[in-house]
Amino acid sequence: MTTHAMRALASAIALTLCTALGAATQERPAPAAPSSDLDRAQAAFQAGRHAEALASARRAADAAPTSVRALTARAGMAEFMGEFDEAQTFYDRAAGLAPDDAETIYRTASFTVRVGEYDRALTQLDRLLALHPRHVRWLFQWAPTRFQAALLRDHPSLERIVQIKLDILTEKGDLEQARRLARAHAIVQPGQNYCAQARARAGAERDEVFKAFRLATLGQPDAADCIWWYGQWLSDEGYVRLGRLMVIEGSRATASPANKESGARYVRIRLGGNREVPKRAEQLFLIARQRYLRDGDINGASRLFDESIRLAPAFARPYNYRAMIAADLGDREGAMAWLQRALRADPDSWRTHRNLGRLFETLERYPEAEMHLRKTVQLFGDDAGGRLALARVLYAQGKYDDFAKEARAAVAFLANWRAPVPEVRDFLAKFDRWGPGAALPPAPDPHVIMGWNYD
Amino acid sequence: MTDHTAVVLLLGVALALAPATIDAGTYRSVDEQGNVTYSDRPPQPEQTRAPAPEATPVPEGKVPDDARPALGAKARDVKAPAPPTAIARTGPTKVDELLELSGARAQLVGLLSGLAGELRPAPGQMSAKDQASVDRILRQALRHEAVFALVRDAFLLQVDRTNLEATAAWLRSPLARKIVALEIASSEPGTEQKVAAYAATIKTNPPTNRRVELLQRLDWATAGTEISADLVAAVSRGITMAVSGAGPAEQQLRPGQIEDRVAQVRARANGALREAHMASTLYTYHGLEDEELAAYVLFSASEAGRWYNSAMRKAMVSALGRAVEQTAAELVRAVPVDRWARATTAAPQPVK
Repeated sequence: MTTHAMRALASAIALTLCTALGAATQERPAPAAPSSDLDRAQAAFQAGRHAEALASARRAADAAPTSVRALTARAGMAEFMGEFDEAQTFYDRAAGLAPDDAETIYRTASFTVRVGEYDRALTQLDRLLALHPRHVRWLFQWAPTRFQAALLRDHPSLERIVQIKLDILTEKGDLEQARRLARAHAIVQPGQNYCAQARARAGAERDEVFKAFRLATLGQPDAADCIWWYGQWLSDEGYVRLGRLMVIEGSRATASPANKESGARYVRIRLGGNREVPKRAEQLFLIARQRYLRDGDINGASRLFDESIRLAPAFARPYNYRAMIAADLGDREGAMAWLQRALRADPDSWRTHRNLGRLFETLERYPEAEMHLRKTVQLFGDDAGGRLALARVLYAQGKYDDFAKEARAAVAFLANWRAPVPEVRDFLAKFDRWGPGAALPPAPDPHVIMGWNYD
Repeated sequence: MTDHTAVVLLLGVALALAPATIDAGTYRSVDEQGNVTYSDRPPQPEQTRAPAPEATPVPEGKVPDDARPALGAKARDVKAPAPPTAIARTGPTKVDELLELSGARAQLVGLLSGLAGELRPAPGQMSAKDQASVDRILRQALRHEAVFALVRDAFLLQVDRTNLEATAAWLRSPLARKIVALEIASSEPGTEQKVAAYAATIKTNPPTNRRVELLQRLDWATAGTEISADLVAAVSRGITMAVSGAGPAEQQLRPGQIEDRVAQVRARANGALREAHMASTLYTYHGLEDEELAAYVLFSASEAGRWYNSAMRKAMVSALGRAVEQTAAELVRAVPVDRWARATTAAPQPVK
C-alpha cells in the first residue's frame, strides 16, 4: 500500500481504536439513589433508561398495590413501552381505587384512544366532564363561542376533553363534526392562516409541527395542499391511519384531477391502500420502532413488531422493520425473508420494493435488485434516491446506457430540489469522458420530498 | 496494479512462479541464490527473502531489448526496483503465478509492515510485558505468507480464465513489470517522506495537464482510491469487531452498529485519500513516460483489467479484514482493552 493509503489507514486505526476502546471502557454512570422505586422509575425515565424505568415502576406497584400513584405510574410506563395489556390492567386498578380522580380518568381515556377503543373513551370523557360543577358543564355545553376560550383556560381539564374528542372524531373520519367542535370551543379562530403557521414550523419539534398542522386541518377545510402535507408528514412519522385520512381529505378538497389521482396513488403505494390497520397495531408499530431506533431494544421491539403483524397481517411496515433488525444482527437471509413476507402482505408497497432492491444490491444479486428497483421507480417516479440505486445496479451489470439515462434523470430531478448530488455529477462527467470505470457509481439517497423519507 | 492502492499495487512484479497446487499450509522460501523451496513449516526469518521488498536497480540485461520501453529523462533518473524474473510458460497461468506477477506478495509485505506499525503502541506507553506480547502477536498474526494465502484463497473464487490469461499476458510485458516494480518501491516504508519531498518539487515544476489527466483516468479505471478506502474499512471493521467482542455481552455492538461505524471511518478515509491521491500517484509513476502510463490506463480500462481489479479488490478486502480481525482479537486477549485504552490515551494519535 502506498503512502496516502497508509496515512489514511493510520488515521482510521487511530479513530477506530479511540472510538472502540472508548466505548468498551466507558464507565457506567453511577446510579442515582432515589428514595423509592417510584422515584427510581421517574429518574430512569428522565435519563432515557426506559426499560429500567418500567422495571422500577413494576416493583413500585407490586410493593404498593393500593397506591393510585404507583398503579398509574406503572400503567403509564407500560403504555409508553407498548405493553398495552399491562397498561390496561393497571389503569383499571387505579380507576377502581379512585373512580373520581380526574387525572386517572383522563389518562385512562387517553390510553383508550391510543388503542382505538373510541366509544369507551367517550364514556370516560363523560365521566370526566361530570366531575365539574353544574354551571361549568352548562357553560361548556351552551355558552357562546366567545366565552369558550376563557372557560377552557380556566378549566384545563375541559380543554383536554375537547382535544380528545377532536382526536376521536378525526380518527373516526368525521372531520366535519371535528371542525364544528373545534370552532364551537374556539380551538380554531376564523380568519387565521394556520397553514402558513404550520409551514413556518417546518423543522421544529415534532409536537409543534403536529399541533400546527392539526389546527390547519381543523381551521382551514379548503387548504387542500396543507391537509395533504399533513398527511404526508404523518406518513413519515408512522401514523399511517391518520395519514391516510388526511391524504384522502386533501385529495377530496383539491380541484386538480391530477392531484386527486396522485393522492390515490400515494395511499396505495405508501399507506397500504385500503388494507385494514387497527389502531392498536399501528401504535404497537410506532412504539416498537422507538424501542428499536431510540433504545436499541431489539428483543422488546421485535416482540411488538410481531404483535403488530399479528393484528394487521397486511401492514407492510413492521415486516420491513423486522428485516432491518435481521440485517442489523448480520442475518441477511432473514432480512430477505421478512421483506418477501412484506411483499406478499402488500405487493404495492413502494418501500418494500425499495428495501428489497437495496438488499439484493448489497448481496450483489443485481438482476433481482434491478427488478425491484425498477418497480420502485415505476411506483414512484420522483424517487430520485431509488433511481440512483437503480442506476448503480445497472452499472454493475454493464448496462451503461441505461445507467446513464437513469442517473441523469435523477440528477436533473434533484437539481430542481436544490439537492445537487455533486458526487454523482462528477461520476457522470468522468463516465462521459472516459467510459466505464472500475468503481460503482455513488447512490446517495437525499431526503427531498416530505412523506417519502421514513417509515 | 495501481500505485497507491494496495490491491492494484498488488498487481505487479514478476517473481518466481509458485505452483497453484500449493495449499494454504505450504510455505515457499527463496534463498540468497534465488533457489525456491517449499515446506509445510514456516521459513525462519533468516531463510526467507521476501519477493523484491527492496528497491534495487533494474538489471539491464534481464530485460530483452525489443521489450524495453524507450525511457525518457525522467525514467532514467529513477532507480526502479527489480521486477520479478520473467516466468517460463508451460501451460495455463496459475493464480499463484498471476499473483506473483502482480507483485501482490511483495506489496503485502509493505502493507502488513505498515499495518503492524500502526497497531503497535508507541514505546513506553505499555508495560514491557504487554509490549512484548503485542510485538509477538503482530509478528505472528500478520505474517505476510499467511495473509497472502488468504488473498489467494479469496482470489480463487473470482477466477475467470479468459481474463486471467489476458491479465497475465499484460503482466509479463516489460512495461507492466516496470510499472509493478515502481509500485512495489512506492509501497515500502519511508515512501511518505519521499512523496512529501516530491510534492514540494512539483509546486515549482507542475505536471503537465496530460499527466494529470492520465493519473485521474488511471484512478477512474482502477478505482484505486476506492480500493484503498475499502481496505481502510476492512481494517476498521476487524478492529471494531475484535474490541467489541472482548467486552461484556451487554456492551457488544451489533453487526449493524459496527457497519455504521465502519462507514463513518471509510467516509473520512475516502476524503483523505482523494486529497492525497494526485501527489502520491505523481510520485509513484514519475518514472514512466506519458505513453507508458497511457498504455497502463488502456489495460486497466480493458475488460481484463476491470476483472483483475475487481477480483483483487475483493480478495484483498476479504483477506485483510480476516487477518486484522484475528490479530486484533489476539491483541485484546493478550492485553485487555482497558490497558490498550490507557496506552492510546497516553499517546493519542492524530486523527486527520
